[in-house]
Amino acid sequence: MAAGPAPPPGRPRAQMPHLRKMERVVVSMQDPDQGVKMRSQRLLVTVIPHAVTGSDVVQWLAQKFCVSEEEALHLGTVLVQHGYIYPLRDPRSLMLRPDETPYRFQTPYFWTSTLWPAAELDYAIYLAKKNIRKRGTLVDYEKDCYDQLHKKINHAWDLVLMQAREQLRAAKQRRKGDRLVIACQEQTYWLVNRPPTKSADFYKREIEYFRKALGRTRVKSSVCLEAYLSFCGQRGPHDPLVSGCLPSNPWISDNDAYWVMNAPTVAAPTKLRVERWGFSFRELLEDPMGRAHFMDFLGKEFSGENLSFWEACEELRYGTQAQVPTLVDAVYEQFLAPGAARWVNIDSRTMEQTLERLRQPHRYVLDDAQLHIYMLMKKDSYPRFLKSDMYKGLLAEAGIPLETKRRVFPFTWRPRHSSPSPALLPTPVEPTAACGPGGGDGVA
Amino acid sequence: MAREECKALLDGLNKTTACYHHLVLTVGGSADSQNLRQELQKTRQKAQELAVSACARLTAVLRDRSLAADERAEFERLWVAFSGCLDLLEADMRRALELGAAFPLHAPRRPLVRTGVAGASSGVAARALSTRSLRLEAEGDFDVADLRELEREVLQVGEMIDNMEMKVNVPRWTVQARQAAGAELLSTVSAGPSSVVSLQERGGGCDPRKALAAILFGAVLLAAVALAVCVAKLS
Repeated sequence: MAAGPAPPPGRPRAQMPHLRKMERVVVSMQDPDQGVKMRSQRLLVTVIPHAVTGSDVVQWLAQKFCVSEEEALHLGTVLVQHGYIYPLRDPRSLMLRPDETPYRFQTPYFWTSTLWPAAELDYAIYLAKKNIRKRGTLVDYEKDCYDQLHKKINHAWDLVLMQAREQLRAAKQRRKGDRLVIACQEQTYWLVNRPPTKSADFYKREIEYFRKALGRTRVKSSVCLEAYLSFCGQRGPHDPLVSGCLPSNPWISDNDAYWVMNAPTVAAPTKLRVERWGFSFRELLEDPMGRAHFMDFLGKEFSGENLSFWEACEELRYGTQAQVPTLVDAVYEQFLAPGAARWVNIDSRTMEQTLERLRQPHRYVLDDAQLHIYMLMKKDSYPRFLKSDMYKGLLAEAGIPLETKRRVFPFTWRPRHSSPSPALLPTPVEPTAACGPGGGDGVA
Repeated sequence: MAREECKALLDGLNKTTACYHHLVLTVGGSADSQNLRQELQKTRQKAQELAVSACARLTAVLRDRSLAADERAEFERLWVAFSGCLDLLEADMRRALELGAAFPLHAPRRPLVRTGVAGASSGVAARALSTRSLRLEAEGDFDVADLRELEREVLQVGEMIDNMEMKVNVPRWTVQARQAAGAELLSTVSAGPSSVVSLQERGGGCDPRKALAAILFGAVLLAAVALAVCVAKLS
């Protein structure tokens, strides 16, 4: 129905940033003083301006970005391959030659980012125009595309032919030179944006993509909105922007007590921080102090090897590649071998699979075992930790920092309350007080 | 007859859309100017007028339930062509808005891309507005107000398309094109006289330049022949 189809799967719009960068380079080439030198192209009778030679482009790029000639040549070739510059003599070979071959810039309408994605209707109109102009001599892949499009968008074929004829007639109103240039521009665009050859691999990938898309988990918006609301309600008091931070916002009062008190390892964590450990197991493990206290707790329960094993697995996953073999051996010796000192309790199936995979060690061999231990700790030890006396003691000990007191002398005053939350509306000022100074300002 | 009227409106819209497409091609390039933006504005306003009247006629006809089956099929074909044309127009208007905003003419932040297209496009605009010639003089900051209007018009056209789809339901798969693949080749061969006529029209357009060149060439040839004869006579 629409003139353009939906973007093809597997090619997200993440392509755009590098196109924008290329466009900026092309536009900076157009500067009259510092851009690339322009020459004229002389055909039999007509003279068309704004042609550049390949060597000029390479030199300009090398000078502007201070790179070697080789790199400038590569950059120029990338520009040509994306259709921002096109060769005049041999339009089908999209590469930059560092000699006297002439090139010209593509008009912004036919930049890949403007005309994205390439529409079937437009391609059909282009092929029909080419058919009319060249009296049926289309290249093989163009002939195939033409037949395919005729079948695919058969309902719009009258429109295709009408538009093709009218566009040709409109083009005749221009000078010959302009007509040639516009025809070259369109041809370049359709050379760069050729439809890809659809082999069996392409279709296999499409089927795989759609199968994965069907299998994605879907959550009702009512459910996920409720979860979002409860998350916000739970975390609201902990967010420094929403509820202010005590003792004071360091950015405003220049007092960095807040950061000192909430450093990763500090002897006395604040109350808010200890409360956060109760929100989820991940919060507890991510906080170094929380992890240390949890380790103490597990030590009392004689299951500290679980957490040690988990930490060793994390080190394996995120460590250097060179350490992988030694680490894997160490972990095996300490945690997984039958008579190991700190043997972890993994179920037999996972243990068998892990021992199999340890023959070819890599970063992720212990993933399954790590996940098993993580879930074990989460379901079993973590709730007990939250109910334990140790945690309750920590909560009671943790203090709420006081706000900074107001100094006596005016010139050392710091803001009294914690920073005003930007989410709160400003209090309305009395009209008289506002008009007075405002009137005074107006008169002055 | 309703059918002829609708066909004429559709042809007009088709012509204007093609001319608008041709004009939008040069926005941002070396031929971009305030005059071009004004021509674009006039062309798209004409296109919108035609679209509104065609929409009204076609909707009225297609909502009439007492229509014979073959007539309905005919009108459905026209409807599909009309909605496709309107989609093309909307897409081109969107691109014109994007490009016009990216390459402003009033405070030159970016230099225009030197594409090699240098001539005037008044011929194309004249064809779109069905006049013989067009002479426009746009002020220096025409494109500022023009962009705002263009944004509004893009939304209007979008609304028109939505309304159309709501009012009349024509499934695309029921419409079959009359013309087979490659029909345009046959038509160009068979329309020999019409192409000759169009050549003559075009020849009439650039006659003065061609006539002058022909006269000069003839004069040079005569001079060369005279000199050769003199040389032959002398020697």
